[in-house]
Amino acid sequence: MRLATVVQITGTLVRLFAPALLAPAGVAALYREWDDAVGFLVAFVVTGLVGTAMRRAGGPGSGDVERVRHVDGMAIVAATWLVIANLGSIPYMWAGLGVIDALFESMSGITTTGATVFTDFGAFGHGVFFWRALTQWLGGIGVIALFVAVLPRLAIGGRELFFAEAAGPTNEKLTPQLRQTAIALWRLYIGLTVAEAIALLIAGMPLFDAVCHALTTMAAGGFSPNAQSIAGYDSVAIDWIVTVFMFAAGANFAMQYRTVRGSRVAIAQDEEFRTYGAVALIAIVVLCVFLFRTGIGAADALRQAAFQVVSIMTTTGYASTDFQLWGDQSKMVLLLLMFVGGCAGSAAGGPKVVRHLLMARLTIRELRRTLHPRSILPVKLGHRVVPEQILRAVQVFMLFYLLTFAVGAAIVVALGADLLTGITASIACLGNIGPGFNAVGPMASFADLHPISKVVLTLEMWIGRLEVMTVLVFFRLEPWRAARWGAIHGPGAGS
Amino acid sequence: MRITIVGGGEIGFAISQALSIEHEVSVIDRAADVAERFEALDVQFVRGRATSPGVLERAGVAQADVLVACTGLDEVNIVACAIASRLGKPRTFCFVSREEFLGLHDDKGLDQFGIDRVVWPEAQLASDIERIIRVPGALDAETFVDGAIQMVEYRLDPESELPGRSIAELHLPHGSLIVAVRRGDAVFIPRGESTLAFDDRIVVIGTPEALRDVTERVTVAAGARRQRVTIIGGGAVGLRIATLLEAADATDVTVIESDPGRGEALAGRLRRTLILNGDGTDLELLESEDVGRSDVLVSVIDNDERNLFASLLGRQLGVRRIITRVSKRANLRLFEHVGIDVAVSARGAAVASVLHQIQGSTTRLLAVVEQGAGRILELDIPEGYVSRSLRDLAPPLNSIVGAIVRGTHVVIPRGADRIQAGDRLIVFTTHEAADQVRKYFANVKSQS
Repeated sequence: MRLATVVQITGTLVRLFAPALLAPAGVAALYREWDDAVGFLVAFVVTGLVGTAMRRAGGPGSGDVERVRHVDGMAIVAATWLVIANLGSIPYMWAGLGVIDALFESMSGITTTGATVFTDFGAFGHGVFFWRALTQWLGGIGVIALFVAVLPRLAIGGRELFFAEAAGPTNEKLTPQLRQTAIALWRLYIGLTVAEAIALLIAGMPLFDAVCHALTTMAAGGFSPNAQSIAGYDSVAIDWIVTVFMFAAGANFAMQYRTVRGSRVAIAQDEEFRTYGAVALIAIVVLCVFLFRTGIGAADALRQAAFQVVSIMTTTGYASTDFQLWGDQSKMVLLLLMFVGGCAGSAAGGPKVVRHLLMARLTIRELRRTLHPRSILPVKLGHRVVPEQILRAVQVFMLFYLLTFAVGAAIVVALGADLLTGITASIACLGNIGPGFNAVGPMASFADLHPISKVVLTLEMWIGRLEVMTVLVFFRLEPWRAARWGAIHGPGAGS
Repeated sequence: MRITIVGGGEIGFAISQALSIEHEVSVIDRAADVAERFEALDVQFVRGRATSPGVLERAGVAQADVLVACTGLDEVNIVACAIASRLGKPRTFCFVSREEFLGLHDDKGLDQFGIDRVVWPEAQLASDIERIIRVPGALDAETFVDGAIQMVEYRLDPESELPGRSIAELHLPHGSLIVAVRRGDAVFIPRGESTLAFDDRIVVIGTPEALRDVTERVTVAAGARRQRVTIIGGGAVGLRIATLLEAADATDVTVIESDPGRGEALAGRLRRTLILNGDGTDLELLESEDVGRSDVLVSVIDNDERNLFASLLGRQLGVRRIITRVSKRANLRLFEHVGIDVAVSARGAAVASVLHQIQGSTTRLLAVVEQGAGRILELDIPEGYVSRSLRDLAPPLNSIVGAIVRGTHVVIPRGADRIQAGDRLIVFTTHEAADQVRKYFANVKSQS
């Protein structure tokens, strides 16, 4: 690891992020919330300065993207999210939150989680709510770029498989084709955001709320300027509109882009999408039956079931009703969905449907191998054989994912939360979902948890968003021991 | 017809042998020692490279009606066809051994190379084997007239109810007819009073429905249950059989392949088939995978001795039907003698198919059965033929009318059925009687 390079490139990215803080400043000014506006301007200046300072510190030439190595790439990704989350917390602190709470809220935004420590929504101005929504939206854009361009190259958690067409030879950097893919996906992302905002406006949502919800839906984020989330609008039309857009946000953007363009969809992606649809459908039917049996009308049961299933599975985390009040049968359905996640190639969190698909096939393979010890049983995805090293990466990913979840849940429970609160808080943050059950339910907040719990959950959001391995690798001493500040000169270096 | 054959190997010899009596055949080959073999036949032998226009001209390609390129080298065959089609206008048959060349047949390559038919013996063999597998208990199976008529060969096993009774007593379903019986090495055409014996092999022609009934009476293997098929050897033939069986989705298939790399490739291309990495002659593997409970064992390794060994192991383990690939013609009979139910050769199947396509329009050879001892011919009854019932005909010895095709209607005939002008007959005959039969039905005035 060459720290100069890491610091230099991270600084560049941070500086790119800084202008985003001007938008909420403008919004705050528009609503005459002058104090908040000043806070955003301060944050903008600080962010800009930090970014520039980091670029300077790296020194000239250290930011050569061509010489970024595997471990440097992971360090840049991990550092960027961490630094931006910290700088993004400045406006929250300005608005009166404590350091830990502000960092939690900021991390929840930039990782598109949607877990909140806000209790009194009336205490904050429009600028702050807009900033919350915007961080999620930008986090979504960042994640799509990360998944399309960066992680496949770093071979994290079998990622290279899901964007096989994007992943070129490993020592080649951002190709024009890759850049084009990313731009095309962003275009679709922006288009869907605008479409949703317009749809929500037509359905009767106020302009400011419609924009904030559109921003957080596409990122599978889940922040709402309304304390009651979507339930606060009490509108059937809005519920269905949001359901449809959440489903789109959880599907692979590359696949949607190609479908829109009328070209053939890669079968591997299509297979994941079909599974995604099937899981959602089954969960909706089961949940609908459970709700119907508790006395909710058929139409309402279907609406609530569809909304909540899609919201949790895509890791958005909106609530169209306080599902904390549901029976355990119904909650069980949602709890299981928390471990699923959306499709690869979306901004959704969680382990992703495709990894579950591969895990299911691996399980079947091991069962068959028990019967036929000499058999050759490749695991296939979309008629193509999945290489063994990708399968291993997927298994390791799942193992570490569940391990991180378990450790997080144990700490939160140990620090005083009840069992269900601890379990759901951990998975809701690791999976970038947002709300859990009981004390962290959809209408409650994370504010009352132990401060250390909040720090742990903040870390979980970061770890979960960056596909676990990217961050966990720096919990080992090895990359630090091998770290050097400057570039290593001479032939043969950097391999 | 003038026929040029490029390549004097097994295939070239077999085709020359079949065609040299009636047609003007010339053979091109580079090797001098090959010529000796052809001296016994009435053919013109030209020594030289088939890729040289001069050599092809000397062999009379310019006037030839048919060119069969069957050397062991795909590229030579393709070039020979290409040159021949520039020199004259022969119908060209090009033998290939790799899948990539199969495309020459259907896309633009066809025009480029002047190839009319691509013959891939391994593919032919695979589809022949697949057809046999699909009929429970069958040792051979063919379909004619777009599937309206089937021909199936069975062995009468101890569980069968047929042996010991005369054919008249059997009351086989309407629409089916036993056209031949092989007992030991002798092939004869049974009559009503003929009695079938245990271990006889019988050839039955009929409609698919009637044959299903016959199958149930002949063999206990015909259950509703899916057949279990074990294929030993995952080469080109094994892969194609497995692919065809998967497409039909009526069988559970296991392929045993000894090369792990090839096994991976097979597993990548097949969806439901179980691929085992191991040797087909490894008794322990065969036992642990319960190969003995397979309904069919197909051994298609590219080595006669190993095929035989694997097949005999399968027989020992109790497999009902064993189909084995044979490369050397001389081994065909031997394999069946030692207990292999069906011995098939890639070349045999391909040669039969090429001959079928070359031979004239009024008489077609539909199938060769019993290693060439019997044949199934298709004959058109010429205009002016006086209608008469089968009972009144005295066709040559050792032949039997298996089916009458009248327009879209198919009749499996009995004595009272009549033959008339415009009919198409499916006739079973022995090898020796084939010509007589052809002449008999072609002659309008022939009387009893």
